[in-house]
Amino acid sequence: MEIRARGYDSALSLRELLSGVVPDKLSPALTVLLGAPPRVVSANGSWVMGDTPPLAANARRMPLTHDLETVGYLETTAKDEARVRAVTVILESFMRLGARYFMASEMHIEVVKSDYEELQRKHAALAESEARYRELAENLVERVKEQVQTIESAHRQLYQTEKLASVGQLAAGVAHEINNPIGFIRSNLGTAQSYVMKLQSVAESIKSSGNAGLVSAWQTADLDFVLEDFPSLLQESLAGANRVARIVSDLKEFSTVDQIEDEMVNLNDNIRSACNVAAHQINDHADLELTLGELPPLRCKAGHLSQVFLNLLLNAAQAMSKRGKIRILSHVEKDRIVILFSDTGCGIPPEVMPRIFDPFFTTHDVGSGTGLGLTVSRDIIIAHGGNIEVSSEPNVGTTFTIHLPIKRENP
Amino acid sequence: MAELDESGRKLTIKLVYYGPAMSGKTTNLMRLHDLLSPDSKGEIMTLETKNDRTLFFDLLPLGFHTTSGWLIKFKLYTVPGQVVHDATRKAVLSRADGVVFVADSQRSQGINNAESFQNLEENVRRVGLSFDTLPMVVQFNKRDLPDVLTEEEIRTRWSAAPWSLMMASALTGPGVRETFVKLLEAVYPILDKSFSLSEVHGTDARTFINAVTGETLGNPG
Repeated sequence: MEIRARGYDSALSLRELLSGVVPDKLSPALTVLLGAPPRVVSANGSWVMGDTPPLAANARRMPLTHDLETVGYLETTAKDEARVRAVTVILESFMRLGARYFMASEMHIEVVKSDYEELQRKHAALAESEARYRELAENLVERVKEQVQTIESAHRQLYQTEKLASVGQLAAGVAHEINNPIGFIRSNLGTAQSYVMKLQSVAESIKSSGNAGLVSAWQTADLDFVLEDFPSLLQESLAGANRVARIVSDLKEFSTVDQIEDEMVNLNDNIRSACNVAAHQINDHADLELTLGELPPLRCKAGHLSQVFLNLLLNAAQAMSKRGKIRILSHVEKDRIVILFSDTGCGIPPEVMPRIFDPFFTTHDVGSGTGLGLTVSRDIIIAHGGNIEVSSEPNVGTTFTIHLPIKRENP
Repeated sequence: MAELDESGRKLTIKLVYYGPAMSGKTTNLMRLHDLLSPDSKGEIMTLETKNDRTLFFDLLPLGFHTTSGWLIKFKLYTVPGQVVHDATRKAVLSRADGVVFVADSQRSQGINNAESFQNLEENVRRVGLSFDTLPMVVQFNKRDLPDVLTEEEIRTRWSAAPWSLMMASALTGPGVRETFVKLLEAVYPILDKSFSLSEVHGTDARTFINAVTGETLGNPG
């Protein structure tokens, strides 16, 4: 019984039950009451308090009971039954007090421990929540900025998409309407050329017919010149009609900008059609020089990239203070397609340079541009996993360089 | 779970009186101390504050010897009813073999009863016991007071519950012993299954209950 499990309801040894008394004081007091020295031993006979062995042969033994069980004995040579019984009651009362103290303290420890654990748990939860809020507070500015950028970007995309969609619809409508008449105009011009040749074949026979009236009328009308000039007029008209047909076809290409799906294209084709569409605005200001290298097919939003090329071309054309040159280069570098747009225009002033990709920033007069061209161009290039860089020298020219990763086509 | 001491030939059974503050748990124990006369009966140990409110618990030890010479010891505990002592209630409830839920019959105490019962349910789970298997008796105490719920009302409200319902007046005595016997009846089959009380110790349910309560064998009247 000397070793016991901890806990308020664990069994207690006699030694523990009497741990609250001072044996040096109690033993002499009990000796006075009994008239003989007492000795207290535990249930298994080991000495706990009082007189030391050996004990006289005529000693009495009284059980000390705690919690329904005999936990020890009072041994004494005292004869008086009543005195011995009284001392037993006194000892048992002390034991009872000891047990009461022990149980209360053990329970107290258990409760404190349980409360402390609960407190620790709450503290941990609180600390975690606090950390979360602190992190949130620290990142708040950053997060708001991110959100604003996301919204702005989405806004620009929406604006551009709607614009492109309406342009696309218009272009598709115009192309359809022009295709038919341009078809029969080209056909008729061809027929007209053969008719002129027929007229030429009869000219000599009329002039040499000797009919003075006819010859005089011929000369008055200067039909020699008419017959000579007519084929070249028709040839020029045909060339013009062919150009219209080509522009219409390029317009149709641009009319696909609202297509969301990726398609496989050779970007050189898109560069060429952008040049054709912009030709009218470029030809007055600059000469175009294309050095297009061999490019692998690229899976991309072709309409959007054509829009980028057109934007850069028109910007370049507008940058010309006097007639200049626009060079377009394309080639492959490692796993990227690189496209350069260089112009010999007025260049970009250093103070403006950091802002050229900002939304709604424009150097043009109000109404002539939205200031979204470069912003959206950059958005489109980034959406394709690429990047766009600019280098410029005032009065020398500007070069935009586009890098696009060649994505491997999934089989 | 009852504690078996093979070398000391002793089986200790823990029974807990649970319930809201001031419902009469300690009074139940005091009355039992007066009413029962088993082989051995200890004094009630109370750990109360100055104003007679239970601080940690009260403890009444009871016991008897089987014919096989074993000591079957009962430790009857009460818990402190006040809400703040939840950690103590949990500690007292752990390893309980049976529970008497002492409810206050007064109409004004409905909410306290319900909260305490819910607290019991939570603590039973927290100490790893199960409401489905833990032997339990529900006692509605203070039947002697005016303005109490009628027995009919109580039985209607608790009709769906699986536990025995007992009416008692701990202050005057009626129902206290009956509640305790009801709990012993619920506890015995489980103890018998675990410790073969009937086979090894020659103690059947009747002998078991009579021995704890101090009834003479074969003369329950």
